[in-house]
Amino acid sequence: MGFPLLSLIVFLPAAGAAVLMFLRSDNAIRFAALGTTVLDLALCIAMLAHFDATKVMQFTEAHQWVPALGISYALGVDGISVLFVFLTALLGSICMLASWVAIDRKVKEFMVSLLFMQTLMLGVFCALDLFLFYVFWEAMLIPMYLLIGVWGGEGRFYAAFKFFLYTLAGSVLFLVGVIVLYFNGGETFDILALTARDLPFGVQSWLFFSFLVAFAVKVPMVPVHTWLPDAHVQAPTAGSIILAGVLLKMGAYGFLRFSLPMLPEASVYYSPLMLALSALAIVYGGLLALAQDDLKKLVAYSSISHMGFVTLGIFALNSRGLEGAILQMFNHGVTTGALFLFVGLIYERTHTRSIADYGGLMKAAPVYTAFLALFTLSSMALPGTNSFVGELLVLSGGFQANLAVGAVAILGAVLSAAYLLGMYGKVALGPESVGLRFKIRDVNARELLAILPLALLVLWLGLYPKPFLGIVDTSVEHLMLQVHGNGSGQ
Amino acid sequence: MTAAALFQSILASLPEIVVVTGACILLILGQLARKGQGHFLLLASVAVVLGAALLTIMLSGEVRPAYMGMFIADPFSAFFKVIFYLATVLTFLLSRKYADIEGIGNSEYYVLLLFALSGTMIMASATDLLSIYVGLELTVLCTYVLTGFLRKDRRSNEAALKYVILGSVSTGIFLYGVSLVYGLTGTTQLDGIAAAVTGDPLDPGLLLAVVFIVAGLVFKVGAVPFHMWLPDAYEGAPTTITAFMSVGPKAAGFAVILRVFLNPLVAASNVWIIVAAIAVATMALGSFVALVQDNFKRLLAYSSIAHAGFALFGVVAGGQDGIASVMLYLLIYALMNLGIFGTIIMMRNDDFSGEMIEDYAGLARSHPGLALAMLLFLFSLAGIPPTAGFFAKFYVLVALVERGFVMLAVIAVLLSVVGAYFYIRIVMLIYMREPKRSFDPVLTPFVGATLALTAAGTIGIGLFPSWFLKLAQHSVLGG
Repeated sequence: MGFPLLSLIVFLPAAGAAVLMFLRSDNAIRFAALGTTVLDLALCIAMLAHFDATKVMQFTEAHQWVPALGISYALGVDGISVLFVFLTALLGSICMLASWVAIDRKVKEFMVSLLFMQTLMLGVFCALDLFLFYVFWEAMLIPMYLLIGVWGGEGRFYAAFKFFLYTLAGSVLFLVGVIVLYFNGGETFDILALTARDLPFGVQSWLFFSFLVAFAVKVPMVPVHTWLPDAHVQAPTAGSIILAGVLLKMGAYGFLRFSLPMLPEASVYYSPLMLALSALAIVYGGLLALAQDDLKKLVAYSSISHMGFVTLGIFALNSRGLEGAILQMFNHGVTTGALFLFVGLIYERTHTRSIADYGGLMKAAPVYTAFLALFTLSSMALPGTNSFVGELLVLSGGFQANLAVGAVAILGAVLSAAYLLGMYGKVALGPESVGLRFKIRDVNARELLAILPLALLVLWLGLYPKPFLGIVDTSVEHLMLQVHGNGSGQ
Repeated sequence: MTAAALFQSILASLPEIVVVTGACILLILGQLARKGQGHFLLLASVAVVLGAALLTIMLSGEVRPAYMGMFIADPFSAFFKVIFYLATVLTFLLSRKYADIEGIGNSEYYVLLLFALSGTMIMASATDLLSIYVGLELTVLCTYVLTGFLRKDRRSNEAALKYVILGSVSTGIFLYGVSLVYGLTGTTQLDGIAAAVTGDPLDPGLLLAVVFIVAGLVFKVGAVPFHMWLPDAYEGAPTTITAFMSVGPKAAGFAVILRVFLNPLVAASNVWIIVAAIAVATMALGSFVALVQDNFKRLLAYSSIAHAGFALFGVVAGGQDGIASVMLYLLIYALMNLGIFGTIIMMRNDDFSGEMIEDYAGLARSHPGLALAMLLFLFSLAGIPPTAGFFAKFYVLVALVERGFVMLAVIAVLLSVVGAYFYIRIVMLIYMREPKRSFDPVLTPFVGATLALTAAGTIGIGLFPSWFLKLAQHSVLGG
């Protein structure tokens, strides 16, 4: 066991938030919050450096919590979760930079909420006990509700309510599922022990759908996606980055951590349904994105489409699909997080998100548009960028699983080129927009500091993805063994 | 009864004796006390309750039957009594300033609360339908008067009148059920009834009797279809009394329900179907009607109906976990509900009633600490982790699923989502709206201590539920 590194990583932001409550000056609060997140990121990098890619669960900790019900405080990371722990910590620091001047009222409350949010998100990815997982998962609603509702745009009340109720309604069924699993799996909430259980198909089926509701809302998959555009549009920039970068990953992570290993037969049985829903999300999200004039909405709908690729890769149920899905989850966090950051940056200057108001930005803000080009291309999966590797793996996995679904997904990739290039063309190229000419200044050093790590990751993953794939490899193989190893014989 | 048995009986009921004697003494002393000696009355009342609490804890080690099967002092009743003490002491602390503002700070107020407390204690310990009846009547007679304590307020008078009329009807129904039981089995003792009923299929007359008794008890916890008195009474009563009624007598009602229902007589019949239907209807009605309330007290009245519904699910589950879950639920509900009522009570100042939800718009701007406390209580009432309210609901669900009532669990959680809406709507007002006026809450040290204690309990039990869970499990009937 040794040093409780994961606990430190998870609770450092909360501790930072507690310290923040005693600070008075807004600037001191900003620096303290940024310092906390950077320190947290440094710890995560140290953990990555010590991560042993040949093993599955590492850095595990376990303590009794509520022994009478078999609940323990257990943390650990494997190749899948370690990536998201890192991503969360990275985006946490970037959120602080992005909110530096954008948040000018109730700074302390904002930073405290953001830091608590980070603790809870990290907790979700590290939890090895279902009860603990659920506590982290559901408690996130509180700071996120406040982030959207207090610091959001004009329609923030509606958006905050919708986000809260959608997610809560999804989660409570998951809670009943968790309890059913508890009694069927030998009265324990230990995720690893529950993974090893062999449940009868009827129970698996039931649980699959109770889990599906919660995860599908979070991803979001198509019939239950309507909270996402509202929440994204109304949320402050940092809120959007967290939503797109981390929260959406949690649904997919739930599939990987619970549905697949605990309910393998149901996952295989219902995979055609999931593939169809994924294909629907890819195309439907793409078409909706094509029709948007609001920059944030466009990126939000593109997220639905991109997350469709992720669920497609997961339910292709082969190692290429899974690896691609995990990589694509990470990529989407980086790229879409960056795109929301860019929308936020330009909105701070012009106070409009309507694409029609923009034009010829290249002249006024060359650095901004250059980086925007990079992330736009990354989002449409141009070779050489991160998403290309992920999407390619997903597509090849998808084709292997089902030809028709693979073909539809290709269509989605074409659509994404159409709306993203269209957006970039209207915003960055063309004649300079007269109304905005004097308002725009290029990115400053602080903003560049937020952009650079993301740009670096885009290129690194695009050109040399091997280290990242190396991290997930062992865990994906292990997962494949759990899904196909016993019973179904594929 | 021999002298030794009498001594044992007195020993077992010592906490009740202390409370009743204390109340009588205070009744006399209150007449002698001059104006402005409110502190003395308050401290004396708290001392009486704390003395009784000490005795209860000292006596809780073993099971002590008393008064020839009418009464029992066991860990089960001790757990409930702790909830009552908590509710009463916190109500006393909240009352001091509020009672002065409303002009109701005379000694009868404290004395009646103490008598109501003794009534709830007798209810928790009663093992005979007649002693249950005595406890029940003692409690409600005091709360009738307390509800109408704002003599010059129309709403308060109306509430008290409605409460008396409906309450008497339900008591009549209860007594009728008791008389049927006595006619059919020849006894009113719960154990005696259980022994008399061995035949299966069940006597339809007995079933009818059980239904009548259920109806009478359900009235006390404010469950559908006997909930009509509750919103009016809660709205009209002085807020401190509303806080007390929503916690103390309600928990006492559940104590009796658990004792009656865990009796083999009931366990053998299909009464659980009735209780399940009542639970679903109660929770649905409470949650949906609360959605449209603008008055904070009325909203909390419906919220308390919804919570009673959720706790009834624990009764449906039954078994060791079912009972323990109801007990834990009531303890946690007492803390968070007294907390939220504490914040409403402290807002009452001068012409500001603090009774409308809109009054709280923008509170977070000027009073961040108070707003944070309200946020905590509201999210706990909504059942969001890591607050205690979540663990309370979680444990009831565990008990339900353990017994195979998965569908009931699904209904319960979906209805709790509806309930979450009206709590977070208040959070929205507090945090996201601009203030329309300045706030001037009355933060006396007593009120501050109440809020600190309830907030600490709400977050503390949420994070470290283990000890409280064990306590509830050990206090379960016969366990």
